[in-house]
Amino acid sequence: MPAIRQHLRFILNGEDVSLSDVAPDATLLDFLRIKRSLKGTKEGCAEGDCGACTVLVGRLGRDGLVYESVNACIRFVGSLDATHVVTVEHLRGANGALHPVQQAMVDCHGSQCGFCTPGFVMSLYALWMRHARPSLAAIEEALQGNLCRCTGYEAIIRAAQAIASYGEAGNDPLVVERAAITERLRVWRDGARIDCGGRLIVPASVDDLAAIFAENPKATLVAGSTDVGLWVTKYMRPIEPAVFIGALDEMKRVETHDGVLRIGAGVTYSDARKILGEKIPELGKLIARIGGEQVRNMGTLGGNIANGSPIGDMPPPLIALDARVLLRKGSERRELPLEDFFLAYGKQDRQPGEFVEAIHVPLPAPGTRLAVHKVTKRRDEDITATLGAFAFRLDTENRVAAIRIACGGMAGTPKRALGVEQALLGQRWCEDAVLAAMERYADDFTPLSDMRASAEYRMLAARNLLMRVYLESVSGKAPVTIARDVAA
Amino acid sequence: MLRNERNFGSPRDRVDGRAKVTGAAQYAAEFNAPDLLHGYVVSSTIAKGRITSIDTQKALDVPGVLKVFTHDNRPATAWFSSSYQDEVAPPGTPFRPLYDEQIYYSGQPIALVVAESFDVARYAASLVEATYEAGAHETDLKLARAAAYVPPKKRQGMKPPASKGDAMAAYAKAPLRIANDYSIANEHHNPMEPHASTVIFEAGGKLTIHDKIQGVMNTQSYVSGVFGLPASDIHVVSPFVGGGFGSGLRPQYQLFLAVMAALDLKRSVRVEMTRDQMFTFTHRPETINTVLLGADKTGRLSALRHQAVAVTSRFEDYQEVVVNWSGILYDAENKQFDYRIAKVDTYTPGDMRAPGAPLGTFAIESAMDELAYAGNIDPLELRLRNYSTRDETTNKEFTSKELRACFQLGAEKFGWSRRSPAPRSMREGRELIGWGMASGCWEAQFSKTSAKAVLTSDGRLEVGTATADIGTGTYTILTQIGADALGLDMEQVTAKLADTTLPKSPVEGGSWTAASAGTAVQMACEALKKTLLQEAQKIEGSPLADAKYEDVVFANGRIAMADDAGRSLDLSDVVRHSGQSEIEEQATAQPDSKVQAQYAAYTHSAVFVEVRVDEQLGLVRIPRIVNAVAAGRIINPKTARSQVTGGTVWGIGMALHEESLTDHNLGRFMNHNLAEYHVPANADIYDIDVIFVPEEDDKVSPIGVKGLGEIGIVATPAAIANAIFHATGKRIRELPITIDKVLREAA
Repeated sequence: MPAIRQHLRFILNGEDVSLSDVAPDATLLDFLRIKRSLKGTKEGCAEGDCGACTVLVGRLGRDGLVYESVNACIRFVGSLDATHVVTVEHLRGANGALHPVQQAMVDCHGSQCGFCTPGFVMSLYALWMRHARPSLAAIEEALQGNLCRCTGYEAIIRAAQAIASYGEAGNDPLVVERAAITERLRVWRDGARIDCGGRLIVPASVDDLAAIFAENPKATLVAGSTDVGLWVTKYMRPIEPAVFIGALDEMKRVETHDGVLRIGAGVTYSDARKILGEKIPELGKLIARIGGEQVRNMGTLGGNIANGSPIGDMPPPLIALDARVLLRKGSERRELPLEDFFLAYGKQDRQPGEFVEAIHVPLPAPGTRLAVHKVTKRRDEDITATLGAFAFRLDTENRVAAIRIACGGMAGTPKRALGVEQALLGQRWCEDAVLAAMERYADDFTPLSDMRASAEYRMLAARNLLMRVYLESVSGKAPVTIARDVAA
Repeated sequence: MLRNERNFGSPRDRVDGRAKVTGAAQYAAEFNAPDLLHGYVVSSTIAKGRITSIDTQKALDVPGVLKVFTHDNRPATAWFSSSYQDEVAPPGTPFRPLYDEQIYYSGQPIALVVAESFDVARYAASLVEATYEAGAHETDLKLARAAAYVPPKKRQGMKPPASKGDAMAAYAKAPLRIANDYSIANEHHNPMEPHASTVIFEAGGKLTIHDKIQGVMNTQSYVSGVFGLPASDIHVVSPFVGGGFGSGLRPQYQLFLAVMAALDLKRSVRVEMTRDQMFTFTHRPETINTVLLGADKTGRLSALRHQAVAVTSRFEDYQEVVVNWSGILYDAENKQFDYRIAKVDTYTPGDMRAPGAPLGTFAIESAMDELAYAGNIDPLELRLRNYSTRDETTNKEFTSKELRACFQLGAEKFGWSRRSPAPRSMREGRELIGWGMASGCWEAQFSKTSAKAVLTSDGRLEVGTATADIGTGTYTILTQIGADALGLDMEQVTAKLADTTLPKSPVEGGSWTAASAGTAVQMACEALKKTLLQEAQKIEGSPLADAKYEDVVFANGRIAMADDAGRSLDLSDVVRHSGQSEIEEQATAQPDSKVQAQYAAYTHSAVFVEVRVDEQLGLVRIPRIVNAVAAGRIINPKTARSQVTGGTVWGIGMALHEESLTDHNLGRFMNHNLAEYHVPANADIYDIDVIFVPEEDDKVSPIGVKGLGEIGIVATPAAIANAIFHATGKRIRELPITIDKVLREAA
């Protein structure tokens, strides 16, 4: 049993905060605006769509102290132990001047009504800390999660490109304070379990989590809170007792053993993008289209699987890659194919007290072709209408030696297109075979009509995606993402 | 008229930039008061019927809850519904929150829970239980249009033009004919700042109100009318408004609820709306146009009929200008216009950026595009052949109309002459390429506005008027105008806005603010300069003693003889010698009725669009748009360009994204959040080129300004739809053009 601490502590701008009486569903945004009167951080949507509430959270990780942009509206205070929270009020330049990010926004006319502006400033600030002279692609990616209703964005992009001409990073408050903050956070990471009245628990380790959850199987596990956050802000669902697992370093590990990538369930989309993107570039490109940067900095792969959504973006490609999920309850572990984890809409093969500990992804065998297409109404910041993931291998005679196709948005769960696969397996990889296989989608899926797309659209687009993958494979060009590729 | 000014016409940075990038700008929900209470709204879950009972006990039992207001226990308010009329209310009976048990629409506020803290109020609100007797509702315009009617009482200036000749007979004889329906979905404004009101209850029962409103005077008169308070007891201050686009023209229900609670509890109260609740009041009305065009083989119009039917609520007859635009852009020997509304069970629609204009323009400019293909005429050439040289709808000359120059400069910049005319004739990779264009106009209005100009003893100028800056740049342009008038640097000038103690102004909207408030400030400054000269001449031994006003100049903080800079006085010395701490003058600008009787004033635009369409998936992207605008003189190219760029992006939203989807079974908007109600994101925006075509106009307003808030959106949706047709051969007549429609339509 680890030591128990009954309060959590973090740094807010320049001030130490220690809280013992904190509700599990208290959001960082309410804390800032209501409790601390820090009103530069705005609420525009309360569900992580608009970015008006963007703040930075700095945390010690493998690479030392790293600051990431997050949506304060769906970030819980309970997840902030041993972090440094930075709001727009903390930004300043030398001698009372504006910070270079802010000055560029003024000079380039990056704001009109100003309500979204602090959020844009913070997103650009996070980018500027990483790249003083970012590419256009990097800028656009950093701003995916920020909506502006007035300016039409162009001026904000120009501001982002101009920041470097307004001064160096040397004077920046976070650079100046870096050593001191790092030291303080290091001391605060004392390896204790945090327990605030049994309502809010931060486990000390994965073993500690396993013990806590086995004992309280009705507790809500909160990883990145990009989903649970909405249960609270949209539906006012009670989540206590809540167990915050987003900071467990052991859950953030990524290792390769015998050709299998073992990804901790707590790995965020942003981290996964770097690591997976290196090994499996198609996954990196897909992750770049999940939410905005703030959501990717919070949301986790494990959460995207465990919540069982039929329109989660990671399960279809992981199923196509024949990934397996590692479940744990207490000290018991079991592993099953990811496709078997999804039983029906809203129902997964997970026992009370059991949690997703890791995902095991076999690295594609040499010669495997992989294509992933996410189709949405709006290019960025949109929920999938339909998603097709294709992994296949051709033999020396151009026959389909192996194929796995999985779709999102086509059924109550992420689901394989078994009939389509069968129609192609062993066939020559040619247009006729593909056309014949396209007919089989109707056997595999009966999609629904909803706000995102009609059933007819989904069916047609899913079939067309197969043709697209075929055409791309024979044209010799790598599968390319749809429309503009911000990662290029 | 102003000439050779230092600031007017120059791209100045916005003066409120610093406040906005630091987060220091305070919006309605961000003003604090001691012991502030928080109200949370409970919304109706049915669309029509009545509340049979409402149980508030569980909410009242929550510690920290002070009161739950419902129709059963609300304090008395004005007896007559007319007392709820606000400055921009359409004909009808305004919605009265918590008035009685009747439910008029889904999401209607049925209770306000007031508590010591926001979280307690929100939680307690979830415990309020209402039972209803539901009635049969109708929210579908396609069904409701059967009972559409010509509004018996017209909203001011909203009459369709008179008919001329026999449009149907001419149509029947015309060699080229087009007849189609063009529809546009309901849309919600969704400014980034949700609506909110903070009502500060002061000693003696006076109220200071911070409201999200596009005109503080409107809030003041509404609260005065509804709650029977003298206007002098209601001080409304809303220095920053986080976007409006029309949603803040009328006082919305959170204001009523906050004031009601504050007066009843004698405490300060704040009510903020959630993003979902932003879908429970005004919206752009779903509209179906029917356009019929007849033309000779050269494309010259002989018949033009434009009809439209739009939704309104059960309780008010909202109206906007939809069909008139056709008649302003084009003349035809025979023409007919008709505008009707149909009642549905929603809240009353309201003005939303360029109300009516992009709807009617989408219809006529799509139909003109269809006519161009039918007659094998270049779409731009077709418009030139039907170019109107006077406003036939009102039988007036234009104050100015440089639309021809918009066409020419826009087409040149875009490279229109290189267009391959046939649909589906341009392709790159897997994308079809389409080039389309459209034109549009918006009325250049001028509204009676008062302003003040004050010079203080430290030589600083303050200009002020009660209108709002909803992000457009009003603070900045008024600072420019004041600085130029007094010969000061912009840093020495402060603009004050959005405060009921300032000189009276109408709501900020309709693109009239720059011309109206700008002229008022200009006039107040002129009056101030005359007074300053008189005061300067009172000084003993004044070097300006015998100067005439025409002979002096104001520059560098001094008044000097124009021909002898040595004879001058410092402005701050003039104020000090006057024996007053400051010198103030006010002025009121109003339209010249003689000019208005003779002339019609419009801003014009020509929009050229390139689209790229992935036909296998129905995906559309818009790599470039050129929007050429003729809007009179431009006060500040920086703020002006930002207005038109933003408006153009709204046009992209209307064309491809924005749609409040209704579940007709529940009578409710389904996508009431920013995840599912799509506004364009940065990735949807590529290159937008704004051209301001030179346009001199000495009639539209004394400063030659026409206004820019609306024109950016007007022609953009039609131009995009036309480009999609050119790319794909698919004519989509229902906005927004979603992936579904692109895939579904046959080429």
